[in-house]
Amino acid sequence: MKTGDRLAIAVIAFVSALVPAAARGQELSAEAKSKEAAEARTKRNALQFENNATTIAFFDRSGKRTGTLGERALYGETVLSPDGSRVAVITRDLENESADLFVLDVASGAKTRLTKTPRTEFAMAPVWSPDGKRIAYVTIKKGQEGIYVRAANGEGSEELLYKNPGAFMNLNDWSSDGKLLTFAVSDMKGGALYVLPLDGGADRKPVEILKSELRMFGPRFSPDGRFLSYVVIDQANKAEVFVRSLDPAITGGPWQISDGSFFSSGFWRRDGKELYYVARDRSLMVSEVSTTPTFSFTKPRVLFRPPSAVPPRIAYASADGERFLVLPPPRGPQLQQLTVFDRQGQVVQKVGEPGMYSQPSFSPDGTRLLVLKGDLQTAQQDFWTIELATGKATRLSNDSNPKVFPLWSRDGKHVYYASLRDNDIAIYRRLSDGSGTEELAFKYTPGAAVLPTDVSPDGKYLVCDSGGVILVVPLAGDPTSRKEIEYLREEFSDGIGRLSPDGKFMAYRSDEAQPERGEVYVRPFDASTGKPGEGKWQVSKDGVNAMLHWRADGKEIFFRGQNLESNELLVMSVEVTTTSTFSAGTPKLLFKLPGPIGGNLGNISNDGQRFVFAVNVSAASNTDSR
Amino acid sequence: MIRRMLVAMAFAVVPVAALAHHNMTALFDFNDRVTLNGTLTQVDWRNPHTYLTIAVQASGATESWQAEGPSPSWFRIRDIGKTDFEGSVGKALTIEVSRARDHSRSGLIRTITLPGGKVVSACPQNC
Repeated sequence: MKTGDRLAIAVIAFVSALVPAAARGQELSAEAKSKEAAEARTKRNALQFENNATTIAFFDRSGKRTGTLGERALYGETVLSPDGSRVAVITRDLENESADLFVLDVASGAKTRLTKTPRTEFAMAPVWSPDGKRIAYVTIKKGQEGIYVRAANGEGSEELLYKNPGAFMNLNDWSSDGKLLTFAVSDMKGGALYVLPLDGGADRKPVEILKSELRMFGPRFSPDGRFLSYVVIDQANKAEVFVRSLDPAITGGPWQISDGSFFSSGFWRRDGKELYYVARDRSLMVSEVSTTPTFSFTKPRVLFRPPSAVPPRIAYASADGERFLVLPPPRGPQLQQLTVFDRQGQVVQKVGEPGMYSQPSFSPDGTRLLVLKGDLQTAQQDFWTIELATGKATRLSNDSNPKVFPLWSRDGKHVYYASLRDNDIAIYRRLSDGSGTEELAFKYTPGAAVLPTDVSPDGKYLVCDSGGVILVVPLAGDPTSRKEIEYLREEFSDGIGRLSPDGKFMAYRSDEAQPERGEVYVRPFDASTGKPGEGKWQVSKDGVNAMLHWRADGKEIFFRGQNLESNELLVMSVEVTTTSTFSAGTPKLLFKLPGPIGGNLGNISNDGQRFVFAVNVSAASNTDSR
Repeated sequence: MIRRMLVAMAFAVVPVAALAHHNMTALFDFNDRVTLNGTLTQVDWRNPHTYLTIAVQASGATESWQAEGPSPSWFRIRDIGKTDFEGSVGKALTIEVSRARDHSRSGLIRTITLPGGKVVSACPQNC
């Protein structure tokens, strides 16, 4: 994810086994706890910066990288000025939880700050005036969204152009005659495109151009102002670039330009003769277009594909169509190698070739992996199983719906997962041999996020996370009428509920001890009610990220911590007993892996002897030749 | 907006606790803002959302409004505690909400002005 300096490796100091965690917590005053949490937050922010900060890169029309701009930062939108001499850029500030607008001079690298937003508020969506002297942008001030404008050289003060009574406005373009702005408003209920006349004074009123039940974004004027390009996201989460007329006298249209877009706006060349967008495989596409007397276009062709096995996404096209902005991944192009480790952290098997893998997990019998695999050609992610002995891969899903958290049933016959459909997240299941069709397993409150984390050993309950609440769902009966039981709902964020093999205890992660830092806790589980019994035990002391797992005999719990200074992932183990009551020993480090790396719940084989991760590897050796 | 939507869609990469629990736009109309001036009567400080109940005088009668806020952890991270709200029960405060689409007396908190004048913004999560 990044290049650059790495923080020094620090030694993890575990709290003495003789000092119970709860007692240690009691020793700390509220002030000391707050200070400790603030220090941890600072470390997390530093790590996030290290993992994600990048510079801006330029590519020319042939796909050759021609230069970079700016110091390493967490850049958002990057927009070239009309003459190409400057870049308006949104930069995130993690400590302040804000994002601000800057202008970078391409020749000198000089940086001019245009906004300074308060904590938790931000600037976004900059657009240049056609003469390059001003920049309009969106900010939220005290909960109020508005379009503001300011001189691009930072002089003078900002001016409010339009106060949005609603939300989710994204500014996209400034017409070449300087008279109009375009913006889109989209949410999960649909979208609308607007034009804002700038001559209306304080009472400026936007004009709705198009409204749809589908989400839309990125409206941009053709240079002659007679047409608008924009992007529509359909119910299957596929994005396409369209053009429509703004002139009632022009018949025909809208025209679909793309055959698969990677959520990319269309960019017009200044002379109105070319239109660019990014295809699903991240190629930069070009269509030769004409806007006189009406709109016409040629079938898009590949202008270039950034030369990498994992091409970075083109973020912006210059008005002359000669330069393209890219935010390259900080660590260079990366693929993932599915890698199996033993308890000492030694590699025992590499599974298949590197690819775009995430969230691998062992089948209950340890013979297969379940993994989410991305396809660079289609930008689609699907579930696959891979036989560890033969490498044979079986595709389980084939659709563009976002899906996460694959989870094996205890008998290995099914896989459960969360997926976004029709603007709602629900839990589905399908057979793990690839046959049959998908079934709904559980749908929660409309609009609520719900993620599966376990199936009870007797197969009667599905355990889920939802917004810091742990739910258990009886799996009997009609899936459409299944009703959840709140296992744990409190003022702390609880999740990753994992039942012990005997079904008597639930291990879970909670931020009770410190905000933003989870620890492992265990509570009894009453299978007759789906509710917790009496008692609670804190198992970990130094933070838990993910990968909570019981060994099949119930005598060991595994979890994954993180060294916030070295970025290392810490694979941890603690011996436990569940006979009569629960007790836990002292967590110990099994091995470390360099981060960042994805994790899941079932990275560990049930016998506790093998661990699988999607390890980042450089994709440089797979670089396409051009 | 697309940036915020893409963030929401990429729910695979964020901690569960960081997720907005609901698709807020399905339940609340962000174009229908209401400013409530009243007395805080009740605080429900649990996940996935906090709830503040506020008594508002309207046309000589008292209306009870329920305002849904971010999770307790969201406030904890920003050094705003349960006690800040519990200590305000019985006192006057101002809450700006996006009103529920079913037009019930409920809304999604955008900003809160506590009795001492401290303004707590629930943005960008709820804006």
